[in-house]
Amino acid sequence: MEIEEGGRQARFAGAQKNHDEAASLRADFPMPRQCGIYYYEVTIMSKGKDGRLIGVGFTGPKVPLNRIPGWEPESFAYHGDDGQMFNNNTQGKPFGPKFGTLDVVGCGINFRTGQAFFTRNGVMLGVAFKDLKTDRPYYPTVGMKKTGETLRANFGQDPFAFDINKLVEAEHSSIQSEILQLKPLPDESSLIHSLVSQYLAHDGYVESARDFSGEVRAETRALHDDEDAELGYLEPEEDVDGINRQKIRSAILEGNIDKALKYTNIHYPDVLRENENIYFKLRCRKFIEMIRESSDLNTNIHPPTPPSKRSTASNGHANDDYDFEMELDEQLGVHNGVGQWGADNMDTEDELDDGQTQAEIRLLENKTLEYGAELSSEFANDPRREIKKALEDTFALIAYKNARQSTLAPLLEISGRVPIAEELNSAILVSLGKSSSAALERLYQQSEALVTELTDDGGPGAFINVRRDFLQ
Amino acid sequence: MSSSTVHASAAGHPQHPFLKKVDDIKPNKSDMNFVIMDYLVTEGYQKAAQKFAAEANMDLTGEELESIHVRAEIKMMVLRNDIQNAINKINDLNPQILDNDHALHFALLRLQLIRIIKAVTAQPNMNITPALKFSSAQLAPRAAIHQEFLHDLELAMMLLVVLPAPIETLRPELAELLKPKLRQDVARRVNEVILTSQGKRGDARLQQLVKLKTWAEAKAREAGKDLPAHLPLGLGDEREGHDGGEPMVS
Repeated sequence: MEIEEGGRQARFAGAQKNHDEAASLRADFPMPRQCGIYYYEVTIMSKGKDGRLIGVGFTGPKVPLNRIPGWEPESFAYHGDDGQMFNNNTQGKPFGPKFGTLDVVGCGINFRTGQAFFTRNGVMLGVAFKDLKTDRPYYPTVGMKKTGETLRANFGQDPFAFDINKLVEAEHSSIQSEILQLKPLPDESSLIHSLVSQYLAHDGYVESARDFSGEVRAETRALHDDEDAELGYLEPEEDVDGINRQKIRSAILEGNIDKALKYTNIHYPDVLRENENIYFKLRCRKFIEMIRESSDLNTNIHPPTPPSKRSTASNGHANDDYDFEMELDEQLGVHNGVGQWGADNMDTEDELDDGQTQAEIRLLENKTLEYGAELSSEFANDPRREIKKALEDTFALIAYKNARQSTLAPLLEISGRVPIAEELNSAILVSLGKSSSAALERLYQQSEALVTELTDDGGPGAFINVRRDFLQ
Repeated sequence: MSSSTVHASAAGHPQHPFLKKVDDIKPNKSDMNFVIMDYLVTEGYQKAAQKFAAEANMDLTGEELESIHVRAEIKMMVLRNDIQNAINKINDLNPQILDNDHALHFALLRLQLIRIIKAVTAQPNMNITPALKFSSAQLAPRAAIHQEFLHDLELAMMLLVVLPAPIETLRPELAELLKPKLRQDVARRVNEVILTSQGKRGDARLQQLVKLKTWAEAKAREAGKDLPAHLPLGLGDEREGHDGGEPMVS
């Protein structure tokens, strides 16, 4: 047997000695069951001089390779000379047309249904074998008997003649509709209401939570209107922790790290002490926010494009909370220039002339450097590698006149605020003795884990992508 | 750190290997927010959707808001049993909707009939003419075309005979007709049909996700996978059933 082209082409070179002798080739790796449907194709390059005993199929790992596939136990094949299918028998059963030179023969297994099918020249021939045991490995296998027979296998490196994606897609839709046609749980709507309101409260979306429960109550009231039933609804308690957590979160999302640190220290004084890594991330983030600030000012003096509105800081809450922040500052006697500086400057920056702005920038840059020095002296001796790395990355930002155009620009993205806000929120929840993840998250995690369980042995999970099919 | 590890180790119970796999899956915040927003929009919770857009910094287009608004109005009408207005409103939106879905149109009209029957049987003189009139004008002709509606109509008309009576004394299939659940179900169907008529998904991702878990758990248990006896979500009032002896898991 001669193997060519990186193991994809095989030619039977030996002379046949006795009637039964043949040569089979088994792929090095079994068909992965996790893929749901496994499929490969073989092109008959030459059927040889005096015959065409070529078999295409799959075998278990212990099947001898000196006989044509299909004759042994755990050996399944479709033969070219008679178009029959064979399993554990030298007598075949009628299956499809014969195949020969330049025909493309495809072989696939659907691990969910335990069925194997064949195609010829892109046309489905149908299911050849049913009730395959799917708890054992199968290897793609081809066999030849006559001198000169040459086969070329395609394991997906080239486009297939048969539209396998359509088949996989059909399988996917049939499972999807099996799931969606499930009768809803008897208490589905109340379960979902609890999931939503618990998520909103858990994550500190206080106003959303309040409005949602109000709207659900209005529905229940409408439903019972004509019965005059006395439905003693309790107004939900004011969720003070939720409100505080929401304030801290919005402060971080606005980029006002000082405000977040302040609130956290007032309401949850232990959290930052006990979660030093979060404290460190917040401090680094503040540094990044300062650099963002100067970079914004720079852009405004030499605008490459018209100055963009500073929509980043105004997600609707900046102004509402602003007064309160001032009050809080006075109460605490805190005067830290930089944190407020951003908010202060927002409305007026358009009126500043360049000279003033230049001065602002110098001031800010000085403050940034001061802050950086403070940060590095606080953490420079920290032995942890991730802290060292984060410090290095953050400080590297100073090196650039306009960090926005540097390779480190991603560090400046606003989206970087989100994970810190969430991490702090979780830490506060844990400190309050609450679960760090919401029931909705648990629902997703359990579903994903269950689907994985149903994927590993080629079950229906293989056709489900939880994120793509259910979360988007 | 996940709470389940906290609780399991605190309780001194070794954690089930499957729960470890659950913990190792990290949900993405923006996916979760998407699922919530999708639910609020799909189910027509207008105020909550607006607040959530602001609080979670998400987009909500004017078109989406308008769609929520109309569907929320119609939903409230059905829940309130104000069926005539609900039908008008649906027809204003798109007259094709009820034309194409005779079963839904019939279900709405039947709600209206039940309401009339409740009203007339509650009166001391029991003048049932309005109910008969409405039924023969609106429902009977439709049931004549669609035989499958006939049984539903007959059941509703039976209320004329048995009412007034306390709901607990009625046959279950008659009691069903008087329960709010029926209006909830019809309201949900209306919402779904409007959404699909607009080329959108009729049900929320969250509903689908709940079904996915139910389905996947059943399949996994069927396949003999090693799972804990219960997979609670941690909503406090564990409806999935708990036997008290289990450590709390979420």
